[in-house]
Amino acid sequence: MNKNLFLKEMRRNASGLLLWMIVITLLITVTMSFYRTFIENQSKIMGMMTIIPKEALQFKGVSNFNDLFSVLGFYSVNNVIYMMVLGSIYAIVLSSNIVLREEYNKTAEYLMSWPLFRSEIFFTKLAVIFTNVFLLNIITALAGFICIEVFKNGPFNVNSFLVLSLYTFLLNFLFGAIGLFMSTIVKRPKPITTFSIGLVLIFYFLFTLSKITESAAKIGYLSPFKYASTDALNPDYRLDPWNLLYFTGFSLVLIAVSFRVYKRKDIYL
Amino acid sequence: MSTPVIEITDLSKSYGKARGIEHVNLEISEGEIFGFIGPNGAGKSTTIRILLNLIFPTSGSAKIMGMDVIKETKKIKRQVGYIPSDANAYPFMKVHEFLKYSKRFYGIENGEDRIAELTDLFELDPERKIGDLSLGNRKKVSIVQSLLHSPKLLIMDEPTTGLDPLMQAILFEVLRSENRKGMTIFFSSHILNEIQLLCKRVAIIKEGKIIKLEDIETLRRRQLKKVHIGFGGKENGSDFNIRGIEEPVTRLDGTFTFMFSGNINELIVLLAAKKITDLTIEEPSLEEIFMHYYK
Repeated sequence: MNKNLFLKEMRRNASGLLLWMIVITLLITVTMSFYRTFIENQSKIMGMMTIIPKEALQFKGVSNFNDLFSVLGFYSVNNVIYMMVLGSIYAIVLSSNIVLREEYNKTAEYLMSWPLFRSEIFFTKLAVIFTNVFLLNIITALAGFICIEVFKNGPFNVNSFLVLSLYTFLLNFLFGAIGLFMSTIVKRPKPITTFSIGLVLIFYFLFTLSKITESAAKIGYLSPFKYASTDALNPDYRLDPWNLLYFTGFSLVLIAVSFRVYKRKDIYL
Repeated sequence: MSTPVIEITDLSKSYGKARGIEHVNLEISEGEIFGFIGPNGAGKSTTIRILLNLIFPTSGSAKIMGMDVIKETKKIKRQVGYIPSDANAYPFMKVHEFLKYSKRFYGIENGEDRIAELTDLFELDPERKIGDLSLGNRKKVSIVQSLLHSPKLLIMDEPTTGLDPLMQAILFEVLRSENRKGMTIFFSSHILNEIQLLCKRVAIIKEGKIIKLEDIETLRRRQLKKVHIGFGGKENGSDFNIRGIEEPVTRLDGTFTFMFSGNINELIVLLAAKKITDLTIEEPSLEEIFMHYYK
């Protein structure tokens, strides 16, 4: 890893990271601020929910109405889209550009003329992706934790909160690895941001489709979202070793393949 | 005999249907200013990009200072400066920020004096953002960054693009001075005149192949002569045939102009039997010699 390159990349991505942190934190804070009002109107809401189609609630990740009235249930149901989907979009946009933009901006001619091995460039950029995704997750999880503490009306399971946060990070980082992989295999150096965002949304769509349609249940397994459990109120909720293996294994394989490709890749300018 | 600074052996790069380079062989000695000339698309940048490990050769090998350009790229690059043709440095950085960033890769922690000296020489405003600079000024940034670490080898790909004549003169003066201190220079360009101003030896690359590798002076002294013959409008050229007349022959208002590579005595004997109004035999410019190889 090269310190000079790492610090430059961190500075270069700082404003983007800050913006995403602010947006996700604000969304979490605003959503959680409705929690008190929500539980004050519990009976009315329960009545309303009986007329909402079951599939619509499943789409939101609600399997049991009562989950919504616990602070952790409310947090996981309402914030998963911000933290998991938006976090993954952030990670994939960052990673799909961090190597590739040196090519389409033609700055690779400078980068490759400096005394650096390709492995140093690759792993430094990977470290930047990891650090940025980690920082985004730490700050937004911290914001979520503070919101839960401020708006809660009873105790909540901190372990479950931590597991939920860890799943979010693993999912976000996996999308980071997917972005990095895509950027190394593209033939023509041009931005792939739109495609990357589309990919996250397609995976999220497949996941939600598998939840609301029994016949499509199996296609959910194609989506990484399937392996990031948000069932935080389940008494057995924990970090499933198979899911952990899925995220770490898949991420490592993608990183290894990306590195192999990048190491032997012709940099076209 | 000392190790060549650049040693390219049977180097080829294929881009599928598009042309790359084929069986390029070059050897550049220490302290040499070597010209690498050819039109756009001839394979100059491909050769340079292999030297810098931006792309990989299909076959053959290249060494810089005896080190393999793939395996020992980091060691090599510590001693190499590079001026790319496009000069697209990071647009969000200020000039001084970019130069400091660049020098840190070479482990130079100080070097402020060198930055100040070079930015002053090339009249660069260190506070300007690179993205706001003209092509010429971006090129100057590129030149300065390539010289910061006083490399042993400087590789330049069309270094004068965008530079005004005054700046070109300053660049050439700096290059001569660095060369006197021992820097080897690999100068790639499609403009022969600037190559002849600086280089001692030149390789001409055409369609991915080296077609000529020669001293500038030898190239200039070759038998090739430029001949103008005035026939007063009477000669149609039908009986004007002698070995050594190189096509194309231009005929304009009774004056024939052509390059002649044969025996000049035979030409004079032939012309003695004809009525001519004018005869000029001159040394062609390097540009004309170059074009001759490219016809």
